[in-house]
Amino acid sequence: MTPAQQQYRAKRVYEVRSQKDGRELRLSDRLVELGEKEFNWYEKVAAWLPSVRGLADLSQELGMDEAKVPRFIEALEKSGLLYRTNDAGKALTGLEFHAKFSSVLSSWISEAFEHPFWERMMSGKGSARLFTGWLIELYHYTKNANRHMPLSCAYAHEKPIKQLRAKHYAEEWNHYHYFMKSLKALGFTEPQIAESVPLPMTLALSNFMRQAARRDILAYSICSAVLEGTTTDRGTYSPYYQKSADLYGVPKEAIAPIFAHLDLDVQYQHSDLFREILEKVPEMSAERASLVLDYGHQLVEHIWLWTDNIEKYYEVESNLVPRRPFDVLFD
Amino acid sequence: MSALASTQAQSRSADLPLLKRTVTVVRQNGHVALRHLREEVMLEGAAAQLFNKIEPELDGKTAMSAIADKLAEKPARLKALLDQLAKVGVLAFLSSKDDGALLTGMEFYALHRERCLYWLQDVYRHPLWEKIVTGKASRAQVVGFAFEKYHYIEAAFEHMGIAAANSSPEMMPHLARHFIEEYTHGDIYRKGLRSLFADDVILHSQPLPSTRALVNYLNESAGRSSFAYYAGNELLQMTENTGDAQAGQAVDDFYDAMRKHYPYTNKLIDSFIAHTKADQHLGHADAFLLMCKSVPPLTRREVNDALNVAKNMAEHLVLFMDGIDTFYGRFGTVPRLPCDIESE
Repeated sequence: MTPAQQQYRAKRVYEVRSQKDGRELRLSDRLVELGEKEFNWYEKVAAWLPSVRGLADLSQELGMDEAKVPRFIEALEKSGLLYRTNDAGKALTGLEFHAKFSSVLSSWISEAFEHPFWERMMSGKGSARLFTGWLIELYHYTKNANRHMPLSCAYAHEKPIKQLRAKHYAEEWNHYHYFMKSLKALGFTEPQIAESVPLPMTLALSNFMRQAARRDILAYSICSAVLEGTTTDRGTYSPYYQKSADLYGVPKEAIAPIFAHLDLDVQYQHSDLFREILEKVPEMSAERASLVLDYGHQLVEHIWLWTDNIEKYYEVESNLVPRRPFDVLFD
Repeated sequence: MSALASTQAQSRSADLPLLKRTVTVVRQNGHVALRHLREEVMLEGAAAQLFNKIEPELDGKTAMSAIADKLAEKPARLKALLDQLAKVGVLAFLSSKDDGALLTGMEFYALHRERCLYWLQDVYRHPLWEKIVTGKASRAQVVGFAFEKYHYIEAAFEHMGIAAANSSPEMMPHLARHFIEEYTHGDIYRKGLRSLFADDVILHSQPLPSTRALVNYLNESAGRSSFAYYAGNELLQMTENTGDAQAGQAVDDFYDAMRKHYPYTNKLIDSFIAHTKADQHLGHADAFLLMCKSVPPLTRREVNDALNVAKNMAEHLVLFMDGIDTFYGRFGTVPRLPCDIESE
């Protein structure tokens, strides 16, 4: 690896928009405009950084004199598109970490929900079947809190944090009843839903939370905070539920329990829990902070693929709803 | 004919006929076609007429004698048709009593193989294979495919380690041997990836959520039930053990097409082939057979548990393919590096 490859990494770009004379790149804290040629160069540099190719290769690919390449890389750094890896070396307090998390949360949430499923549902191109599928998977996801929340208590070694996690669990453990109520209003029976099998990505969400719980209580807590961040206020979800009800003939009785659940979450102020936990953390090493942040972002990607899995399964008319387990006698 | 069908056709206490839920009934020109898994049974003439008459009663709740009485049918005639349907696997006989042990390990082995071959069809039909073979896959999808395979194989450390550490006494020698034989295989893939990326980058790269889902499902199953875990793992193993000539040729054709369209993957493909050969050399194809020979007879609950894990594993494998296809298709960054405090 060349010194530049060891020194630099690309910042996460959340969105690239085409413009008249180039592209607009959205980072968590700024917009960067590049001409078409510069954007092309930037993409080549970003792909070259983790590779085993030398500087001469990059210079040839860019059609740029080798001596000028380091200057171009520095210019990318100044624009915010690249950063130096040794910048990430300082320890920080729990509250400093929370400030960092808060600064990226809205970018993360928009990344999690930029799946085309949402636009499809809101524009009337979805279906009652897709709405029902989403609700069934939400039921499983909420019920599966019982697979990871108590585990996080078991693996939280410090008393104040253990206490906060346990309180959260006590407030959340039976919230799946709200979704059961909605599904009953849609005509399903309780055994049909309770005995059904979640999609692989629904199960994956709770398995990932279990992985986080075993790894580091802050890694678990950031995932929990991302999930709570999706329901901070009614504004995030209300339009989706309301519009779906109108577009796909979902009865009011099926929507009311969902709003009751959202209101309860807001009432408990669960979105403040991560901050309360981080107040108990006097110092985090840079390595720990990176690990925790990384778990949070992985959860964001899980949500995106979860949505994808729901859409792909429930849009196929011949697929069973709800999904039942295999039985050697019946199947 | 499935092992279960043959066992049940012979059971005297089981006399509640049930048309399996997974059977599709198609009627055309007086004929009745019963489709189940990859098989089709055709009934004609009197047999088709009798089937049409009794189908609503094949709910697993009504005894054969009661059906004969209700429909004024000769019991012997009815039994003859139902026995034939059970023999070809489209009908089961339930029992009003608890049957206790249901299958021997070897009967389970046959049933597992039959079902897994069926469940794996969705994996083999996944559009990503076609995209790679025809050169339509993007660079991110192709290199991403290699990275995700690496992560999955490297995860032997996790699930095989957890499985061995939580094994039941009869399963321990098999699971210990499997871990010891497999834990270095991730390095075979890593060697291929090193032709394109720095070693440090490969070691710190991050799997897709869908790959993580597959690995975590293996981990969770491994910690819960040795036998169910291995029934699921065997399904994955069946995709690697291309011992028979036809399947082996299909794999060779795939790699040839990949080399042609994506010349930069030459060393990656060498590593894929080296891994397949290493697996075949170890004779993993026989490991599950040996396990099934050594387990005591299985109850319905145990059979269902193990087969549900195998079925879920097939679904996770489809998800694994979907992740590579969809995620790398939409987000072209590869390799995927973990966040640090400055990257966001």
